[in-house]
Amino acid sequence: MGLAAQKRVRTIISYCILGFWSFILLFPMYWVVITSFKNAIDMSIKATYMPFIDFQPGLHAWRYLFVDRLTWFLDPFMNSVLVAFISSTVALVIGSSAGYALARFDYGGRNNSIVLGFMSQRMFPGALFILAFLVMFRELGLLDTRLALIIVYSSGAIPFIVWVMRDFFEGLPVEIEESAMIDGANRLGVLFRIAMPLAAPGLVAVFVLSLIGAWNEYLVALTLTFREAITIPLFMTMQVSQTGYTEWWNMSAISLVSVIPVVAAGMALEKYITGGLTFGALKG
Amino acid sequence: MATEPQIYPSRRSRFEIRDNLWKWIFLVPAVAIILILLAVPVLWTLYAAFTDLHLYRIGDFETKFVGLANFEKLLSNRSFWRTARNTVVFMLGVVPTQLIIGLTVALALNNITRGQKLFRTWFLMPLMVSPVVVSFIVGRMLFQEDIGPINDILRSFGFDGVPWLTSPTWAMVALMAIDVWQWSSFMILMLLAALQGVPPDLHEAARVDGANQLQAFWRITVPLIMPITMTALLIRIIDAFKVVEIIMVLTGGGPGQATESVTLAIYRTGVKGGDLAFGSSQAYFLLIVLMIFGGAYLVLTRRAMGKD
Repeated sequence: MGLAAQKRVRTIISYCILGFWSFILLFPMYWVVITSFKNAIDMSIKATYMPFIDFQPGLHAWRYLFVDRLTWFLDPFMNSVLVAFISSTVALVIGSSAGYALARFDYGGRNNSIVLGFMSQRMFPGALFILAFLVMFRELGLLDTRLALIIVYSSGAIPFIVWVMRDFFEGLPVEIEESAMIDGANRLGVLFRIAMPLAAPGLVAVFVLSLIGAWNEYLVALTLTFREAITIPLFMTMQVSQTGYTEWWNMSAISLVSVIPVVAAGMALEKYITGGLTFGALKG
Repeated sequence: MATEPQIYPSRRSRFEIRDNLWKWIFLVPAVAIILILLAVPVLWTLYAAFTDLHLYRIGDFETKFVGLANFEKLLSNRSFWRTARNTVVFMLGVVPTQLIIGLTVALALNNITRGQKLFRTWFLMPLMVSPVVVSFIVGRMLFQEDIGPINDILRSFGFDGVPWLTSPTWAMVALMAIDVWQWSSFMILMLLAALQGVPPDLHEAARVDGANQLQAFWRITVPLIMPITMTALLIRIIDAFKVVEIIMVLTGGGPGQATESVTLAIYRTGVKGGDLAFGSSQAYFLLIVLMIFGGAYLVLTRRAMGKD
C-alpha cells in the first residue's frame, strides 16, 4: 500500500471514530429533546424513537412549563440567573485584579507560590466545605439565601480566575502600560482602561466558565438552600422526588431550559472556553 | 531580580509609594476571601473531627473533645469502608476508560483538518451540562429498565434487559457510563492540545530513519505528550474521588449501599444526619487521599510554570 493510500485509510478511520463518539454524545441530547414532546402514552408501553413516525409529538410539556406553571418555575430560574451572574462578576473583578497584580508586581519572588496556593483549592473535597458552610451560614442567619450561594460560588471561582488571568496578563506587552503611567495614569486606570480591554478574550472565557460552574452546582446548593433560594438543579431533583420519575416529558423540558443557555454560550465561545479548560497543562 | 536604573529618584519614589499601594489593593481581597472561605472551613472541620459536635445540639450542650474517637470509629466502620471501596472502584473504572477514549478520539481529531473545529466545538457540549441533568437524562431516562432505549435496543437484538438500577454491579456501571459520557471530552481536548504541540517534522524524521508508525508513536509522540497527560489524569483522579452529584440523582447510593461514594456518605452523616463530628472525620480521610494526588498535581504544575 502506498503512502497516499495509507493516509486515506487513516483519514477514513479517523472520521469513523469521530462520527461514532459524536453519536454517543448526541443520542442522550436527542432523547431529551424528543421526550419533551412526548405524551404519557408514548412512554408507557415501549420506547419510541422517531417523532411523527412512531409517536405523535405534542407541546403539552412546554405548555405546562411556560403557561400553567410558569411562576413556579420562574423563581428557581431567577435564583440561578442572579446567583450565577453576581457571583461570576464579583469573582471576575477580584480574581482578575489579583491575577494582574501577580503578573506585574513582584511579591518577594513568591508569585508562583501564591498562585499555587490559590490552586491548591482544587484538591480540597467539596464534602469538607459543606459541613463548615452549613454551620457558618446558619450562625450568620444566611441559610436559604442567594447571598450565601453568591459568597460560596465567587470564592470557588476566584482561584481559577487568578491562575488563568495571571498568565493572560503576563502575555500582554508591558510597554503600553508603562507609557500610560509616564503620562500620569495610575495603576487602577491602567488595569481598567488598558490591561482589561486587551485581556478581553481571557476575561470572557473565565467569566463564562465560572457562570457555568455556578449555574450547574448542586452539592452546596443542596446543603445551604431548601425553599426560597433554590437553584435550577435543586428544583429539578425536588420535582423528581415529588413526582417519583413519572413526568419524563416535563423533566425533559426543564432540563432543556436549564441546559440550552449554558451549552449555547460555551459552544459559541468554543475557542476561549477550550483555552480556559485545558489551560495550564498547555504550558507543560 | 535585575536592578533598574534610578533616573528620576524623587518622582519615581512618589509613584512607587502609590503604586505599592495598588500592588496590595489588587491582591489582598482575593487572598482574604480565599483564606476566610478556604482556611476557616478546613480548620473548623479539623476541629470538629476531634469533638462530638452535632448539628441539632449546637448551643444546647457543651462541645466535648473526644480525641481520636471519631477516627477510631471511622476505621472500624464497615459501612465507611464500603463507600471508600465504591469510590476507588468508580475512579478505577472511569479514569482509564476516559484516557483510552480521550487518546483515541484526540488522535483521530489530530489526524483530520476538515471539520476539526466543528468536532471540537461539539465535544465541548457535555462539559457544559450540569451533572444533575446528565444523570437525569443519560441515567434515569436511557437506563430506565422497562422502556428505556438502551434496554429496548438490547432486547431487539435478542438480549435480556439489564437491571441497570436494581443490580449493585450494573448500577455502578451505569454511573461510570455517565461520568465517561460527560468527562471523556476533557481528556480529548487536553490530549488534542498536547498532540498539537508535537512538532510534525520530528515524526517525519523518525519515519525517514526507518521507524514504523507505531514505533514513531511510542518513541516520539508518547514522551512528548506525557506531561499534559499526567496533569489531565491527576485532575480526573481528584475529581473522580469527589464524585457525588450523579450518584445522588441516579441511585441515591443504592441499591443498598452499593454505589454510595465517600462524599455522599459525608453528606448523609453530616448534613442529613447532623453528625458533624463523624462527617468531618470522614472528610479529613478523603482530604488526605486527595492531598497525595493533589500534591503530585501541584508539583507538575509548578514544573510547568518554571519552564516559562
